[in-house]
Order: sequence, then C-alpha cells, then structure tokens
Amino acid sequence: MDFEPRYTEEQQTFRTEVRDWLKDNVPDDLANPADSADTTYDDYLQYRALGRDLGEKGWLWPTAPTEYGGGGLTIDHAIVLDEELDEYSLSLPPYYDSGGRLGGASILVWGDDDQKERFLPPIFKGEVRTWQLLTEPNAGSDLAGVQISAVRDGDDYVINGQKIFVGSSHGAEQYWTITCTDPDGDRHQNLSWFIVPAETPGLTVVPMDLLIAGGEGGAGTGHKNTIFFDNVRVPASNLIGGENNGWQVATTHLELEHGSGGTIRRNRLVDRLFDYARELKRDGQPISKDPEVQELLVDVFVEAEISRLFGLRNYWMRHAHQKLAHEGPQSSYYRKTSGLRMGEAILKILGPYALTDDPKWDKSDSHMEVFQRSSIVALHPGGTAEIQKVIMSRRLGIGRQVREQAGRLA
Amino acid sequence: MDLSLTEQQELLKTTARDFMEREASKDTLLELEETESGYSDELWQKASDIGWLGMLVPEQYGGSGSSLTDAAVVYEQMGAGPLSGPFFSSGVLGALTILEAGTEEQRQRYLPSIAVGREIASLALTEPDYGWGPDSVSMRAQPTDNGYVLSGTKLFVHDAASATTLITAVRARGHEGMTLMMVDANTPGVSTRLLSGFMGWVGEVTYDSVEVPADAVLGEPGAAWQPLQRAFQKAIPILCAYQVGGSQAVFDMTLEYSRTRIQFGNPIGRFQRVQDHIVNIINHLDAARWTTYEALWKLDSDRLTANGLETSIHLAKAVTTEGYYQACNGAHEVHAGIGVMKDYGLTLHTQMSRTLYHYLGDPRFHRKRMAETLDF
Repeated sequence: MDFEPRYTEEQQTFRTEVRDWLKDNVPDDLANPADSADTTYDDYLQYRALGRDLGEKGWLWPTAPTEYGGGGLTIDHAIVLDEELDEYSLSLPPYYDSGGRLGGASILVWGDDDQKERFLPPIFKGEVRTWQLLTEPNAGSDLAGVQISAVRDGDDYVINGQKIFVGSSHGAEQYWTITCTDPDGDRHQNLSWFIVPAETPGLTVVPMDLLIAGGEGGAGTGHKNTIFFDNVRVPASNLIGGENNGWQVATTHLELEHGSGGTIRRNRLVDRLFDYARELKRDGQPISKDPEVQELLVDVFVEAEISRLFGLRNYWMRHAHQKLAHEGPQSSYYRKTSGLRMGEAILKILGPYALTDDPKWDKSDSHMEVFQRSSIVALHPGGTAEIQKVIMSRRLGIGRQVREQAGRLA
Repeated sequence: MDLSLTEQQELLKTTARDFMEREASKDTLLELEETESGYSDELWQKASDIGWLGMLVPEQYGGSGSSLTDAAVVYEQMGAGPLSGPFFSSGVLGALTILEAGTEEQRQRYLPSIAVGREIASLALTEPDYGWGPDSVSMRAQPTDNGYVLSGTKLFVHDAASATTLITAVRARGHEGMTLMMVDANTPGVSTRLLSGFMGWVGEVTYDSVEVPADAVLGEPGAAWQPLQRAFQKAIPILCAYQVGGSQAVFDMTLEYSRTRIQFGNPIGRFQRVQDHIVNIINHLDAARWTTYEALWKLDSDRLTANGLETSIHLAKAVTTEGYYQACNGAHEVHAGIGVMKDYGLTLHTQMSRTLYHYLGDPRFHRKRMAETLDF
C-alpha cells in the first residue's frame, strides 16, 4: 500500500509550471478566503476570470477529455494542480459550480455526440457557470418525487414549477434540472433531465434567507435561491439521456455528490483550531494545556482523520476504477455527522470565541464562527445524513430486495 | 498512491484464509475456548510450519523477515476467527521485544526458537496497579552475587500459561529505568494462574524469590523502556490488524443474519432501526481498517519521525480497539437472543474484543498519548 501520491520527474516539472503560473495569475486578495464568508461581486468576477484562464490552459477540469474542452491530463497531474491550489486555499473551479463535477459527468455518460459538443466545452473551459436544480418544496430526500412538470410542445418542452436550495450568490449562465414528464408514470421512469439556459424567459431567481447568508462556498455553505419556472421553453435538443430516462442520468451525478469522488485534502480547520487553542489563554495559560481541552482537541483530530481517510480511500477507488458500493455515502455520512460533533467540541474548547467573527476579537478569520453554522447547514445537501444511511444499506444489500448498484461514472 | 494489497499480499491473505477455514473452524475455536492455552499442539505445529511465528523474525535468525503490512494481512485473517493462542504474544510482541532490546547473543538464543514455535515468549509487564506507562512497573529485582532475585506479582499477563519464557519487566536496584528479564517459566518460584471471567487466556504470574542469572537481563539493565516502546510501535498495528479482522467477521455475520432472519414477514435488514446498527458497525470497521493500514504503511516506509508516525499508531490503536468493541455491541443488538448462544460464534468475538480492550493501552490511554504527540 501507498497512502501518498508518488511524484514522477514529469509531475515535478509540471508542479513548477503550475506554481509559477499561479504565482503570476492568482490575485493576492483572492487567496485563503474564509470558506463561506461573503464574496463580493468584484471578487466573484475575479474568480470567474481566474477560472477562464485556468480553462484556457486545460487546468480547470484537468482530467476531462480534450475533445470536449477539458485538459485531458492524467490523475497525477490533477493531484499536482489540486495540491498547488490548496496552497492558496482554492479548489477547482475557484467558485461554486455544478457543471464540471456533476452535470458534466452526467452529460459525458448520457449525452449524445451533439450534446457533448454543445454543452461540455463551455463548462470545461469555465465560460459558463452551471447550477444544479434538484430539490423542490415537496421533493427533498425523495428526489424521485419531483413535481416540476415538463410537457412536450413541438420542438420544445415547456417547464412549470419551482426548485429550491439552488446555487450560490451572483447568478449563473445555465442550469441543469430534473423534471417530471409523466405524472402518471412509474416511479423512477417518469423523469427527464434538461439543460436550461439561464436567460430563458419565464425564470425568476429569488434569494433564500438561510443560516449562512452569503458566499460561494458551494454545497453545505453559502447563499441559496428559489427558482420559479413559468412556461419556460427549452428546446427538446437540451433533453439529456432521453424522455423519462432522467433518473438514470441523475444516478451519475448523485453518485458523485454522495461522496464517491473522494478527496486527498486534509481539513485545515483542525490546524486552525489547534493554533487558536495554543493562543487563547484561560487562567493565565494557553487553553491547549488544559487536560479537558486536550481530550476535546483529540476528539476533533480523530474525527477529522477518519474523514480524511474515507475521502482518500474513495479518491483512490474512483481513480483506480475499483467497484464502489457503500463507500460514497459512508464518506458523506461521516463527514456530515462528524462535522456536527466537531462543531460541538469546538464550542466547548473555544467558549464564546467559537461564536464570533468580530474582527477585533476573533483570531481565526471567521473560520470558527463559520464552522458553527456550516456544520449545521452541511447536514442536508446531497442528501441528509439519514438518507446516506439509507443508501449505504441498499448498497450493502439489505435496504431493498435487490442490491442497489452504484451510479455509472465516466 | 495505491491502497490495494500487492499480489504477494493477496496470496498471503488467501493462504491464511484457507488455513483458518481448514484448521480453525468455528467448532475448533469453540473447543479451544475451553483450554488453558487457547491452542492445540497440532494447530500450533501446523501454524509454525507455514511460518506464522517467524514472520517478523529477520532471516538471519531463522524467520522470514516480512514487512509489517505482510504480517498484518495474515493477522487480519487470524483475527477473523478469532484464532486464540499465543501467536501475537510470542511471534509479534515477544519477538520484537527481543529484537529491539536484546543483545546479539540473546537474539540468536531466542529468536530462532520463537520463529519455529518451540519457544513461547510472553511479556509480563502489567501489575495490580494496572497501566502501560513508564511508571506502571514497580516489581523489584534484588541483585545477588551471580544474578537477581525477583519477587512480586504480574497481573493481566496475556498468554502467561502457555509461555516458556516470561519477559518480565522489573526495577533492578541501582537502575532508575525499567529492566526486562528473560525468566524461564519453569524456574522454581514462578507460578502462573489463569484468570476466570469475561476474558480469555489472561493470567496472573507470581514470583516468589525467583533466582535468575545475571545474563537473564535483556540488553542493559535499566535501559529497556526505549527499546520496548519501539517494539510496541511495531506490534500495536499488527494487533490492530487482528482486531480489524475480528470486526470484519462480526460485520459479515451480522449483515448475513439481517438478510436471512425473518420477522414481521421481512428480513430484519429491511428495518431502518436494524440498518442503523449495521451502518454503525461498518463505519467502525472501515475507520479501523484505514487508520491501521496507514500506520503500517508509515512504519514500513520508514516514516519514523516525519508525518506523525507516533500519532498514527496511537490513532490506529484507539480507533481500532474501540471499533472492535462497538462492532460486537452492534452485532448483539441485531442478533438478539441467537447472538448470546455460544455455539453461534459471535461471543468468541465479543469476549476477544473485551480481552484486547486494555491490552497495550486502552483507547483512552492512546488518546492521551495523542495529546502529547500532537504537542498542544
């Protein structure tokens, strides 16, 4: 076994190239954002510009196929890019987007040639940002119960209804969504999956008022919206995977959203917490010297290590094309529930300092206060913790009569 | 990055699994549970013949000098039994202690016999004031003209009854640090007694004016603590792998039971209350597996100080020991009545998870060590 990426000489050469490029192209004020704090519109535009520059080099979606605008690079290169961007606390893409990681993955598996050529290059080059529109007021955990209707009319489909918990701040250029095309049809066989340009008439975006108000943090953090569809006309050529086959298309991105993508990153929150605990004083000494605080710090460390290892395992399994079963939802479940436990431990460790982002007194650049909120918000996106357990059970062959298979990945 | 086993490790795993199926079936293990030593001569001989006791003994001392990960792969299969007998005590902890602390002469004297199972060396460290820290040993060794006299009691000694040599931790007069003594179990004044209760093959050893020669000291008098810690560092992840195997077996049998046990007209695995337990077990199992194998990888790739090796070992031990214990608890929740019937086999694991809970430090002990290595 080998738990570390091994670097070839070629990779190290690539690393130098990436490092130099990032030094020249990442604006100073964009590095190390507090994960989900407000991002101003000006900052957002800069992130998008950085995304396009990365896309131009094929580094935005490094492993996506070059024929569709991706980088066509190996996983070894992607690891290097990820590590170098991590030095700036940035990810690929450097803003919230559901196009490349999730929607694009579905289009790659289920789209026809024309659709791949039309939709994928703008996504993989960072020219468009795409939001996912899944949840509805009456379809949360039961995603297959979506009610938003799409009705065929000539060469178009006409969509009516409402989606919630969408996107982030500052808008997007296109959406992908799952709709009901046969209200009387059998469950899982009555849904259809569309790409919808954001400027289509009949769409109204209304911000939601949530526990975390602003930002580009993506799933689990940040600003979300309600989107109303009022006779929204979408060309039939934007239907991916065929009519009433939408659930199949969704299984691909759901698989990834349920944690099967994995990650090789560590949780920097733990380092920040340790530093904070060494700095804060109680009774004249750093709180980190208090044996009870030490126990709590170790609790946080253990949880974070297990989370890291589940993510690392899934990352390897995905890229080594191992057959996935319960591992995706397990990682998601563990991250969600351990996040809540870590939040509690941090509250006990730091006392009221955990709850303030006051610039005079908070020494964590808002990270601790944001985590108190985001660990709660993170419980639901991509399926609640309870739903992750339901999926795990199905994958283990006990939730249903027939063992559920993992969704198809490209 | 590659988290798969090598081809050779896959082969080791298959061989070990086959051996366990053939030689250590559930019925055999239930019979062995009633014995003082936890093994039969025949089983011990066969396991020795395929090299299970010499895996961590270097080739120059008659072993195969395998990597720790190789050994762990085999111990994981042993844990799936769970196979009883002093395999870990002698073949891992005993051998590594002699290797780390012993003189060249002592290595040559003991290791080849341990590697073929002729010598069984168990570590007798803990005392009635139970603990695994440097201050937990207070038993005295009184110097004489040609050696030492040992008096005192060692308690909760694993595989004490089957040991031919008890590696006994003492305080030798004139030396502040810990001293290890190689005490022949047949020496007059040494007596071992198996403890009864919800634990297996753990004993009390009493030393009543036991005379040992001067060369019984393993290495240098007063200098045993550091080498013993090095032996612990390597031995602990192997013990963890054994517990991972146990947790895997417990998970497998619980999952299977939830698929086949029908109540209210459904396999009970269809009930989400039952699923909660099964999800819990596999989370403990997978956390144990990956913390253990990461620690083994760090050891095998000589990441001795970098990358938090010590922290990794404490992490693996805390998570894995807790995991095996909780896996058994969850299994009992799912199995209900049948789980406590001895011939079903689950209780072999339940008792083993308790027996190993404090061995080489319980989860709380290792969490405290983590607080030290993380340097708060």
